[in-house]
Amino acid sequence: MDDEYNEELGKRKAIYVPYSQAVPLKYAIDPDNCLYLTKGRCGTCETVCPSHAINYLDQEKEITLNVGSVVLSTGFKSFDPSKLDYLSFGKHPDIVTAMGFERVLSATGPQGGHLVLPSDKKHKKEPKKIAWLQCVGSRDENRCNNGYCSSVCCMYAVKQSVMAKDHSKVPLDCAVFYMDMRTQGKDFDRYLENAKENGVRFVRSRVHSVYPDRDKGDLVVGYVDELGVMVTEHFDMVVLSTGLEISADSFELATTMGIELDRSNFIKTDSFNPVSTSMPGVYACGVFTGPKDIPQSVMEASAAASAATENLALARHSKTQAITIPKQRDVAGESPRIGVFVCNCGTNIGGIVDVPAVAEYARHLSGVVYVEENLFTCSQDTQDKMVEVIREKKLNRIVIAACTPKTHEDLFRETLIDAGLNKYLVEMANIRNQDSWVHSNAPERATAKAKDLVRMAIAKALHLAPLFESQLPVSPAALVVGGGITGMTAALALSRQGYPVTLVEQNQTLGGNGRLLHKTAKNEAVAVFVRKIISEVEADERVHVLLGSTVQGVEGFVGNFKTTVATGDDTRIVDHGVALLATGAKESRPEAYCYGEHDAVMTLLDLDARFAENAAVVDRAENVVFIQCVGSRNPAHPYCSKVCCTHAIRSAITLKRKNPETGVYVLYRDIRTYGQREFLYREARELGILFFQYDVDNTPVVTPGEDHVTVTFTDHVLGRPLAVDADILCLAARIDAWDNTRLGQAFKVTSDNDGWFLEAHQKLRPVDFATDGVFLCGMAHYPKPVDESISQARAAAARALTVLSRDSINVGGIVAEINRERCGGCGGCVAVCSYNAITIDPEKHVAVVNDALCKGCGACAATCPSEAPSLMGFNNEQLYAQIKSAMTV
Amino acid sequence: MEKNDLTPAEPQGSVMVVGGGVAGMQSALDIANSGFYVYLVEKSPAIGGKMAQLDKTFPTNDCAM
Amino acid sequence: MKEEVFEPKIVAFMCNWCTYGAADLAGVSRMQYPSNTRIIRVMCSASVSPHHILRAFQSKADGVLVGG
Repeated sequence: MDDEYNEELGKRKAIYVPYSQAVPLKYAIDPDNCLYLTKGRCGTCETVCPSHAINYLDQEKEITLNVGSVVLSTGFKSFDPSKLDYLSFGKHPDIVTAMGFERVLSATGPQGGHLVLPSDKKHKKEPKKIAWLQCVGSRDENRCNNGYCSSVCCMYAVKQSVMAKDHSKVPLDCAVFYMDMRTQGKDFDRYLENAKENGVRFVRSRVHSVYPDRDKGDLVVGYVDELGVMVTEHFDMVVLSTGLEISADSFELATTMGIELDRSNFIKTDSFNPVSTSMPGVYACGVFTGPKDIPQSVMEASAAASAATENLALARHSKTQAITIPKQRDVAGESPRIGVFVCNCGTNIGGIVDVPAVAEYARHLSGVVYVEENLFTCSQDTQDKMVEVIREKKLNRIVIAACTPKTHEDLFRETLIDAGLNKYLVEMANIRNQDSWVHSNAPERATAKAKDLVRMAIAKALHLAPLFESQLPVSPAALVVGGGITGMTAALALSRQGYPVTLVEQNQTLGGNGRLLHKTAKNEAVAVFVRKIISEVEADERVHVLLGSTVQGVEGFVGNFKTTVATGDDTRIVDHGVALLATGAKESRPEAYCYGEHDAVMTLLDLDARFAENAAVVDRAENVVFIQCVGSRNPAHPYCSKVCCTHAIRSAITLKRKNPETGVYVLYRDIRTYGQREFLYREARELGILFFQYDVDNTPVVTPGEDHVTVTFTDHVLGRPLAVDADILCLAARIDAWDNTRLGQAFKVTSDNDGWFLEAHQKLRPVDFATDGVFLCGMAHYPKPVDESISQARAAAARALTVLSRDSINVGGIVAEINRERCGGCGGCVAVCSYNAITIDPEKHVAVVNDALCKGCGACAATCPSEAPSLMGFNNEQLYAQIKSAMTV
Repeated sequence: MEKNDLTPAEPQGSVMVVGGGVAGMQSALDIANSGFYVYLVEKSPAIGGKMAQLDKTFPTNDCAM
Repeated sequence: MKEEVFEPKIVAFMCNWCTYGAADLAGVSRMQYPSNTRIIRVMCSASVSPHHILRAFQSKADGVLVGG
């Protein structure tokens, strides 16, 4: 059968695991293709299965579940480009979809991660020229019915072109054919500029055809460039940047449930309730509510978790069971009995390193009593087996030779807990990331290194001792910094789950930027919502609002913070278990285009104020010009402010609808109306709003007149300058981060180069800080529209709830411990500790470590002349053993 | 706590999440880790969704697995 | 006479939070480099004391790399 996981570029059988790292790693029968189920023949699987797991008679079962709420997160399906004739998809194997290209690049893909042409069955011929075609199945109501922008394709095309260049052994020419580059996310524009510097070509164009060249065997891309010239160019491979759409199954699910969808079959939501569906108790997240990228999906997922449990707060812990942890075996008196598990990681390790030889080598090392090879040591069935083996063989130290402890150590520690061993009795040898992957062209050396790494891990394992953690109670209260829409949303989300919140706002009023905004992209009045949410916050008994207040200092750690808040001259200490930073951002004051020099020149928020007060100029303006990217996307401020294209177009439409006679001009670099916002762009063009693209090195010129300003710019199609006398010149000014240095220092969190708070992981932990118990949301993270700020606020609340709903948190483990007999009380360790975790006991004159504050860096251990502190799990005895072993062959 | 029509007298302490991709998994984890039972319903034989098909992800170029 | 190629042995102390992760990433990116280093994971380069470095040289390492 064609393998759907590999986008039909590879084959699979009728009984299969979807992919090698699948969870659960179990075989499934494909009933449409199984010979036994379709024709009653074969039946081989049943005969060969040693565990008698095959049951051909298994039937679909209906299960009824009583639940308090439902979250829909069925995601998307990729647009099928075979519907579009002009792309010739399916007529030449080297025309692939973007998902297909992911599989081409992937080490687990059908070509083993080698960038070769799918048409070459010998997997040898490398492409020299690859084209990416953007907006396939997106922003297209003529050839398909997907009028929206899929939001993610520009960025993935940039990533794929960079990755392809990286993978290629020959100089590779990558060209991306696009209408607007929509790289509006955090750090996306930087990545785009880097791609340009790396030689990826970006061609603003409309592609009208792709077809195979029968003589040359390659592919021809025909397009119209931005000057209107017809061009053809040859490529070896064409990647179709296919959009995201809702599958027929998801459509059926939503319509059967009676949930309202928008015109593109995404679940209809409003900007103020971005994860609520039209049906009470049913919530949605991810692409089901609109096209979006991974971080935005993850944020919405957490947001949906907060929304879905809000009405269930009284039933918290009513259906869950405490996990029964097996009693920990005391291994103190035992001599080391080491079990070694060597992972093949599919072929990631086993394809390079001689795993049987490594296993055999380990068998003869001191302390080793058991050795096993696994296809995937991390798979669930191996974990189950490992638990049995540990018990049966009475193993008391475990060595895993596999990938990196940074991603997998926690998993194996859990397995040790299940087996009744102290979880710190495991050591990993990194024979994948730091061996097989980096020495794949020298297999023998990789095998020799793997043996060394295993030997070193065993040497350390011989000295591993159980480490213990203690429990500290969690202070069940939250601190939210920032009283804008985001901060208020987060505060209410926490309070409605039953937790008291202190909301700190430095201004004398709540509302933040929300007070300055006129309409959302969906034309909802922001002022009405802000008034409503302020009154909800003020009426909420559990939310304590401190206006005109700032955070002065923070002590403590996750679960037990003590924050000093100053209100005027008064200061108070707030006890809280978690903190949410929602300090927002601000529209910058432009330094160009006569801003501040002429009354006709204003920013988007200035214009919103004119709308709010029904200013006369709004109705009588003959011409209005919008200039986009003012102060954004330049070397000093390389980021995109994300909201301005939509905001400007929304305002342009408002003006045009008020007075259809008004000439409205939008001067832009790329229009970034991502997602369903694309319909606004379309509406604007239909209303006769005129759009002109300008380049960063040919910006519009503004000259002041009496009661207007004259804006001069180039019309690309006509190739000559145009001048417009504008009664209103509206500048889409860059959004700036506040200076969060002090707040950041207080909570020990960092900001990026542009001043935005830095999340723990840009994809998978978008609202967590690296510091436990502190979360970020709203524009303090990056400029974003109201709906995304609200999602992120709810997401931060959900993440905070995972801490607040715990009775206690564990501290200890890998922390410093002081040998009192060696300690002279000199205070050297106190001076080097960045976390203020060490103090000197004034009576006993010895250093004392606070386990909850200690981050386990070990700086104290390296500083002390008497070696009094040692870092548990990384003590000198263990390190010396590793060093010595590294050099012993 | 005030009870409205949407809050049954005794709310269920469980939630169903439909779809086991990156969004569904994150939602399920956050719900479970704040004290509720979760039924994560997935149509295919494995969770992971579309992200499991991706090779690497921007900006860290981490393996999407 | 057969030419002897000098193959240095290098002990590398790498911080869990930066260089050790970077070494992992080098693998994810399939970069290739000589196989002469043996990495020891530490929780911070500040925890590497002169004793550790000297111990490596005493154990006949030709070079020591501290990454942090």
